[in-house]
Amino acid sequence: MTNVIEIEHLTKSYGKARGVIDVSLKVKEGDIFGFLGPNGAGKSTTIRSMLGFLKINEGSIKILGMDSIKDHETILKKVGYMPSEAWFYDSMRVSEVIKYAADVRGLDCTEEAGKLCERLKMDTHKRIKELSLGNRKKVSIVCAMQHRPKIFIFDEPTSGLDPLMQRNFFELINEYVNEGATCLLSTHVLSEVNRYCKNAAIMREGRLTMLESPGIDEDAFLKFYEDEEENS
Amino acid sequence: MKTVYLRELKLNLKSLIIWSLTVGGLGLSCILMYTSMNSDMKDMADMFSNMGAFSDAFGMSTLSIASLEGFFATEVGVVHGLGSGMFAALCTIGIISKEEERHSGEFLLSLPISRIRVAAAKGLCVLTMLVVFTAVCAVLYVTGFMILNEEISYAEFADFMIKQFLMNLEISAICFLISALSDRIKTGAGLGLAMIFYVYDLIGRVVPDLKDYLFFGPYSYCNASEIFSGEDPCISGIVVSAIVTVACIAAAFIGYNRRDLKS
Repeated sequence: MTNVIEIEHLTKSYGKARGVIDVSLKVKEGDIFGFLGPNGAGKSTTIRSMLGFLKINEGSIKILGMDSIKDHETILKKVGYMPSEAWFYDSMRVSEVIKYAADVRGLDCTEEAGKLCERLKMDTHKRIKELSLGNRKKVSIVCAMQHRPKIFIFDEPTSGLDPLMQRNFFELINEYVNEGATCLLSTHVLSEVNRYCKNAAIMREGRLTMLESPGIDEDAFLKFYEDEEENS
Repeated sequence: MKTVYLRELKLNLKSLIIWSLTVGGLGLSCILMYTSMNSDMKDMADMFSNMGAFSDAFGMSTLSIASLEGFFATEVGVVHGLGSGMFAALCTIGIISKEEERHSGEFLLSLPISRIRVAAAKGLCVLTMLVVFTAVCAVLYVTGFMILNEEISYAEFADFMIKQFLMNLEISAICFLISALSDRIKTGAGLGLAMIFYVYDLIGRVVPDLKDYLFFGPYSYCNASEIFSGEDPCISGIVVSAIVTVACIAAAFIGYNRRDLKS
């Protein structure tokens, strides 16, 4: 299996504030990789560096063998990203946002988007400003999946989703992964990692530790959070 | 890029229609008032042309407001200059920064489009709006001249509208830079900037010591009275304007491309 994500010695700081320090990570093709850690540990910073939202201070990031800075646009064509906060343009309708995302990609994703909307039970006629957080998250899922990307990057995807939708969401991930996609899943929910992930890592205070197995028990998992609380 | 450009145009369409019809409509109303005021104008023209610095500031010492050209330059020139400057500032000041303030930047930049192309699409949208705004106003002003059936030098009118457009472009370029570097929509700063430039030009024409420094401001080369009275164009003002416009646009692209996306 080839590495689809390769991060080498990534360091990113925000002025004097710590972001992430010397993070190295490899994710293999076909993996569902759990990315755990307390709030402010550096998970989102790592993800946002991978997607080119942040300018990194040191290190290198390769996605699908391509450099995250030089080949930024090509990488984004093959990535489906769902941010932790699902914000769009308030005045647009759900269907317009989904079509807008497909149009910017230069693709006709009508069929796949229709299938996803049906699975997620979405009302595509509503305006974004009328939607709850959970429903905005569903729009975000469709935008991330409709172009059938090779890599999914999800940042706390299930917060705000009801249990049925959470199940539908993971069913969709499994279907795409079975067809050859890879998924990086940043989450606080240990049960999601235990149940769905093949490999996992945990971040604390900007540093990454690979876990031997994603089947980590709850006490050991919460210990990471307690340590972070004590040090913050 | 085309999708972002069209989306941006659609978002700004209402504002474009309101501003171009308001400024153009005000100008048209002023032009149409000319005939009704013409009979009383001759005495007023003499009085207005002898008010010293005030007459200089509004160009009434060089042009008679009793003529349509003079009336247009002193009345519509002020309305269009101020209105178009404010529109240029307003339509540009939030064009990039709104993505950060309204948190939609993460969605937009997760799509396969570089920051350079996002900025280019938004810049192109501003340019389109300024062209349409200028064209709508020009059509309304010409309609006014045709309704009055009065002759006006169309070469000087075109010169005025083009220079006003260049002034709008300069204000937009400065606001584009502010928008690219900030994570808030700074409406007050944009409007304030347009007003400051206008007042700077006005004061510069009243205070003799400031006259030599007028060329720093974007209003220096587009003064209607100077254009319609056939005075030599303010070349230094145009050169400074071109440098400021190009430098601000380049700095906006570079700055926006180097920025981190706000959390």
